[in-house]
Amino acid sequence: MTDSASTPTALIRARGLTKAFGERTAVAGIDFEVRDGEFFGFLGPNGAGKTTTMRMIAGVSPRTSGTLEIFGKDPDLHGSEIRGQIGVVHQQETLDMELTVRENLLVFGRFFGMDRPSIATRADELLELFQLSDRAKDQVEPLSGGMKRRLSIARSLIANPRILMLDEPTTGLDPQARHLLWDALQRLKRGGTTIVLTTHYMDEAEQLCDRLVVMDQAKIVAEGSPRQLIVEHASREVLELRFPNGTESIDTKVLEGIGDRYERLAERVIVGCENGEAAHARALEHGLDPESWLVRRSSLEDVFLRLTGRSLDE
Amino acid sequence: MTATSSVAPNRTRSRLAAIREAAPHPTRWRHVVGYMLAVYRREWQGSVFSGFIEPLVVLAGLGIGLGVLVGDKAAEITGGVSYVAYIAPALMASSAMNLATSEAAWPILARVAWVRIYHAIVATPLNAADVMVGAIAFIVGKVAFAAAFFAGVLLVTGIATSPTGALGMIAVSVLTAFAFGAPMAAFSVTQKSDQGFAFLFRLIITPLTFFSGTYFPIENLPFAAQVLSWCTPLAHGVALSRALALGTPVTYIWLHVVALLAWGIVGTIVAIYLFRKRMLK
Repeated sequence: MTDSASTPTALIRARGLTKAFGERTAVAGIDFEVRDGEFFGFLGPNGAGKTTTMRMIAGVSPRTSGTLEIFGKDPDLHGSEIRGQIGVVHQQETLDMELTVRENLLVFGRFFGMDRPSIATRADELLELFQLSDRAKDQVEPLSGGMKRRLSIARSLIANPRILMLDEPTTGLDPQARHLLWDALQRLKRGGTTIVLTTHYMDEAEQLCDRLVVMDQAKIVAEGSPRQLIVEHASREVLELRFPNGTESIDTKVLEGIGDRYERLAERVIVGCENGEAAHARALEHGLDPESWLVRRSSLEDVFLRLTGRSLDE
Repeated sequence: MTATSSVAPNRTRSRLAAIREAAPHPTRWRHVVGYMLAVYRREWQGSVFSGFIEPLVVLAGLGIGLGVLVGDKAAEITGGVSYVAYIAPALMASSAMNLATSEAAWPILARVAWVRIYHAIVATPLNAADVMVGAIAFIVGKVAFAAAFFAGVLLVTGIATSPTGALGMIAVSVLTAFAFGAPMAAFSVTQKSDQGFAFLFRLIITPLTFFSGTYFPIENLPFAAQVLSWCTPLAHGVALSRALALGTPVTYIWLHVVALLAWGIVGTIVAIYLFRKRMLK
């Protein structure tokens, strides 16, 4: 209770949040807070516990232990009330294929107890916002993946939720559809909606999130804004050296001498450093002969690599 | 002491709140019915045959065709009425069973496992119990509608003569739909594919029509089969429907009603439990 005074604007607060499925622990005692109006992300590889965490917040997965408060309330005891103020977009589409685009929205508004005239007004607004107005009377089935995803998001917003939750919203979309969706989400955030998303795409987290937690193996391994995380956990630049014949034979002493830190992957060595060009020169001096190399600014990918010793797509 | 006494009411309140979260809401389930009606408006043409026309075709074929064959012997088993009039109310009950079970099979499985819209609905203020109650209520309502149509045809063609009897038959169809729809829903929410349905329909649902007194009295069956027959809902539906239609006295009328209600209520509770288990992981 005393906590609430220090951060009055936290909409979601989890302490020691844990979920076990039999022997397997999907979420192992995590702490986090989502503040009013922010774009918050759970970043991590598949199986890290992101979706399970989202399900617990959405009140469709009872927690095993720990505390969880959404709008200051326990979802086990006030699930229905909490769900009434949260819009959820699932990773897989859950649209009705027999109804039209607009009917999918109309039907859903009723579940939130809205009256028909306000649902109709809101539905048309959302169709406009998500550029689906000209498909309003069409069946859902023939829509493109990007359109279906936009409709799912529109549907989740029918009752003006305080929090919008998106589970891997751009998985399976082509780059253009992805960017369209990112724009729509940023518009929503500017409109004051708190957004929580999970993703295993670094660029998505970097582009969208004000703050994020990095999850790996059921735990939170880092927390902060994308910028902060990069500053804290990665060096300014990254030198990538490519060795198609493998990296096992390279002397550790040599790698240590190139930059501030390094990660040895199967066919690549990633070197964190202040100046990539200079590090490359040092690598050549030490007698390394990479097939190719590149220098780039550090990204969340490097943060993840640093924290877990694995790359996200492995 | 003071600590425990202040915690105890809190714990009770929490437990009550948790139960309220899991129990069906008094009215929210109707939005699921509304959703199903919206779907039905789109695809009603597809189910008109199975729901409305098929039972009449069976009645015409068997009632007239078999009726001629049975001929004068019919009176012995029917107690004086024509064979068509004898099987019509029973067919109504068995088509209530057919419609309810098929409506509780594919449409529910699809929403759990294929289009997965139930996952979206339990993320709204509705809970798993509301979804099941609404789904079962829609099935029962749809059967009531089909039964009213069937009863209307029977009255118009003179096969049924008593309007009160017709109303009674509709009520029995509703009970029969409940008795079959709810347990079927409980089965469907546990399935991953529709392979289980083929088994269930071939081995249980279809044979039931023949062993529940629809075309001939249950008393013609061996004793063991009779006992088995009374353990299923259809025999009760058929017995009630026929008695109400023909105005014949029926022993244990309340027993039949209770049996049908019990199947429906227990089926609904089990369906809620299993659906919740599948949804709330």
